Amino acid sequence: MTTLRRFGLAFIGLLLASILLFMYVETGAQQAASYIEARDLVRLLKQQDAIWDNEVLKARVALSHNYDPLVSPLHEMNGLWQRLDAIESVPGRHAATLWESLRSDYLQAVKEKTRLVEQFKSHNALLRNSLAFLPTAEDDIQGEFSRLSDADRLQLQNVAIETYDLLLSSMEFAQVTTPEIAAEVLLGLNKLEINKERLPAKLQSSVDILRRHIALILREQPRVNELLQGIQAISVASRLDTITNLLEKDQETAAAKHQRNHVYLLVFATFLVLILIWLAIRLVRSFAEIKRVNSALQTGNDELEQRVEERTRQLKDTQSELMDTARQAGMAEIATNVLHNVGNVLNSVNISADLVSRKLRSSKALGLAKAMQLINEHADDLGHFLTEDAKGKLLPGYLNQLVEAIALEQQSLTDELAQLSKSVDHIKDIVSTQQSYAGANSLLEPLVVSELLEDALRMNSGALTRHHVTVIKEYGEVPRIMGDKHRLLLILINLISNAKYAMAGVSNHARNMTLKAAVLDGETLTISVKDEGEGIPEENMTRIFAHGFTTRKEGHGFGLHSCALAAIEMNGHLTAHSEGPGTGATFELQLPLKLAEGEP
Amino acid sequence: MASHGLILALGLLVGSSVSVHAEPLDEPLKPLPPVPALDPKRVQLGQRLFNDPRLSINNTLSCASCHRLDKGGADDKALSLGFDGKPVEVNTPTVFNASLNFHQFWDGRVDTLEEQVHFVVISPTEMGNTWETVVKRIADNPGYAKDFSEAYPEGVSEASIRNALADYERTLQTPHSRFDQYLQGNTDILTPREKFGYQRFKEYGCIACHQGVNIGGNMFQKFGVMGDYIQDRGNPTRADEGRFNVTGDEADRQVFKVPSLRNVAITAPYFHSGSAPTLERAVEVMFKYQLGREPAGKDTELIVEFLKTLTGEWEGKPL
Repeated sequence: MTTLRRFGLAFIGLLLASILLFMYVETGAQQAASYIEARDLVRLLKQQDAIWDNEVLKARVALSHNYDPLVSPLHEMNGLWQRLDAIESVPGRHAATLWESLRSDYLQAVKEKTRLVEQFKSHNALLRNSLAFLPTAEDDIQGEFSRLSDADRLQLQNVAIETYDLLLSSMEFAQVTTPEIAAEVLLGLNKLEINKERLPAKLQSSVDILRRHIALILREQPRVNELLQGIQAISVASRLDTITNLLEKDQETAAAKHQRNHVYLLVFATFLVLILIWLAIRLVRSFAEIKRVNSALQTGNDELEQRVEERTRQLKDTQSELMDTARQAGMAEIATNVLHNVGNVLNSVNISADLVSRKLRSSKALGLAKAMQLINEHADDLGHFLTEDAKGKLLPGYLNQLVEAIALEQQSLTDELAQLSKSVDHIKDIVSTQQSYAGANSLLEPLVVSELLEDALRMNSGALTRHHVTVIKEYGEVPRIMGDKHRLLLILINLISNAKYAMAGVSNHARNMTLKAAVLDGETLTISVKDEGEGIPEENMTRIFAHGFTTRKEGHGFGLHSCALAAIEMNGHLTAHSEGPGTGATFELQLPLKLAEGEP
Repeated sequence: MASHGLILALGLLVGSSVSVHAEPLDEPLKPLPPVPALDPKRVQLGQRLFNDPRLSINNTLSCASCHRLDKGGADDKALSLGFDGKPVEVNTPTVFNASLNFHQFWDGRVDTLEEQVHFVVISPTEMGNTWETVVKRIADNPGYAKDFSEAYPEGVSEASIRNALADYERTLQTPHSRFDQYLQGNTDILTPREKFGYQRFKEYGCIACHQGVNIGGNMFQKFGVMGDYIQDRGNPTRADEGRFNVTGDEADRQVFKVPSLRNVAITAPYFHSGSAPTLERAVEVMFKYQLGREPAGKDTELIVEFLKTLTGEWEGKPL
């Protein structure tokens, strides 16, 4: 609905604006300007026409002998007319045929006037020349007369008088051209023609010249008068007046239109202003509306913020709860971890204990009891028994052997028990370390890497033997380092144990495990454990270090996870590499090399 | 007596000094106006075209072939030869000062030089060409095409060729004739005989037709006012009918444009038919057939001497 109204409003506004523009163009000042120019051109045309007429009259009364001024106004007029024509011939300026007809009337008039003026020039030149010559001709004749003898002169007196009269009437004719005077001149000419015969030859030619010129005047004067009347009859000025009238009329119409458009302009402008005012009111109103909505929004916003705060608080509570849970879970994880590691070492303890008990069970000390029994049976004849009896003779040797065997047995038991106590120490270490796990404090001590590796192997030695694993040692030149023995052992035991398990299913080739230790670039200590077991599939590669990931039924998924963590805690890292299932795997521990004191 | 002589001498001195700085004379004859300022590129083109035989159909005639500037802007034949070697209808009028004539051609059939160019080019006896050919020939010349496009927005066209030629002709004025100097106030430049000649020229009525800036060339006049020259001459032709051929008006029979008398001494032969070989003969014919007068004594000689003062200069050198 509002869209429709808005469109309607825009449409009305646009319409009014375009009407105003149209009117502006329509009433443009151009019309007025060109009207003024056209009027001016017409005025100039009339002026030139008047000059032209004036020059004709000046030539008529022989004021001017130069005919150039009778040519130049026409050139001027042609130029002016072309300008006027260019303005007025614009289509739509005047009623279609009106201008055309006025234009052709004017051009026709000018053409006719030009033609008559040209003829006037030719005839007037002849007439003026002959008229100017008359007194001279008369003087010539009178001169000839005066040279005649008195008798002849007397005889030709009337001829002289008649010639003189003819001259006078010719001049009168030039002023007052009436048929009567024309007849008189003609009569005079005829008389002269007759009288000529009586004149002497010399005089005859002079009279002849005069006659010819008077005949010319008689012929040309009416012609010139006629032409002048013709020129006057063609009133170019009146044609120009008609054009002026047309221009004025059109201008009046234009002015009236202009006036009307003014009124329209006022009305439409008022409409436009009203619309603008209305729009302004609408604008003010919508401002108020916007303000109201804004404040409502503000309130809503505040409420929302409160709720967000509340929620945040709730979230925080939940988070702390979660963290507690996580901590407990972590503790559980640590416990599992500890138990796992302890389990690993307990394995060794178990094996050692088993070994000791087996040794004790098959101890050579039992042989001593048997020997003592023999001695007790022969307590009375002991000397005899020892020297004479076949059995008795062997007894001292046997005892000697037994002493040696027992000593040997004791030695091995002592070793095994030492190992056992070492394992128990390790368990103690694990527990004590885990007790202070949160602190993640590490105890750095000088270590020999090869010894460390040997310890780790020993802790797994029972299992390795059981599983028929051959250990290949490739220890490089590694100096004594400062390191966290417990963590390193933890990692190594785990890696060795994993390698052993990885090769559990191998039956088609020897179970080789390769241990390597080397220093890279003098900065990094690398220790790697390589097996030739089942390998790691591609898809498991990213998950093997994750907590809880395991491929074994009885596994916990803590070993590698804790190893990776321990590596990171020592500022190193643990990486795995495998070509795929069945191709074995290599685990490599990289640590920053920290030399122990006194090492180069 | 001595004081009188002194005053006379002073008067003469003042007079002579006045004559040097004198006001121009107010005579029916007027000195040449200054040459109009025109686009030099167009004038240059007009000059090339004026001397270019490509304007004639068989590439033999240029404007300059008949309007030879070294022969007073005309040629010395009674009738010039057209492109086909046959004589044209009328005597070649001089191209000098032609722009000051109120109409062009002997019969005044056109008003402007542009139109005059047109009629000469297409005339079957003069250049015998068509505008199509002319425009093509000019436009095909790279030099012309370039210069035209610089001088005219539309480049080579019939109108621009005509205008260039006309503009060039408008520059062909011969100022500084001795008589013009006389009119400008330097009255000492004419000899007494020449001044007498001018006086006779006015007295006998030559001035009736030969006046104005071009000393003629501003009106039409019947040839044979006081006698039938053409009949007396014999062999009347179509061209002898003059303006009648243009208007068809009986009154215009044997009516011609009055020719300019500027440089008349060097443009023999005379009249539309070239039938007067010398200036003396032409003056005599004028006396007899136009003025109906008998020249007294040596008046013809004086008038001829006066007419010779009307020869002007072209490119700073007397013609």
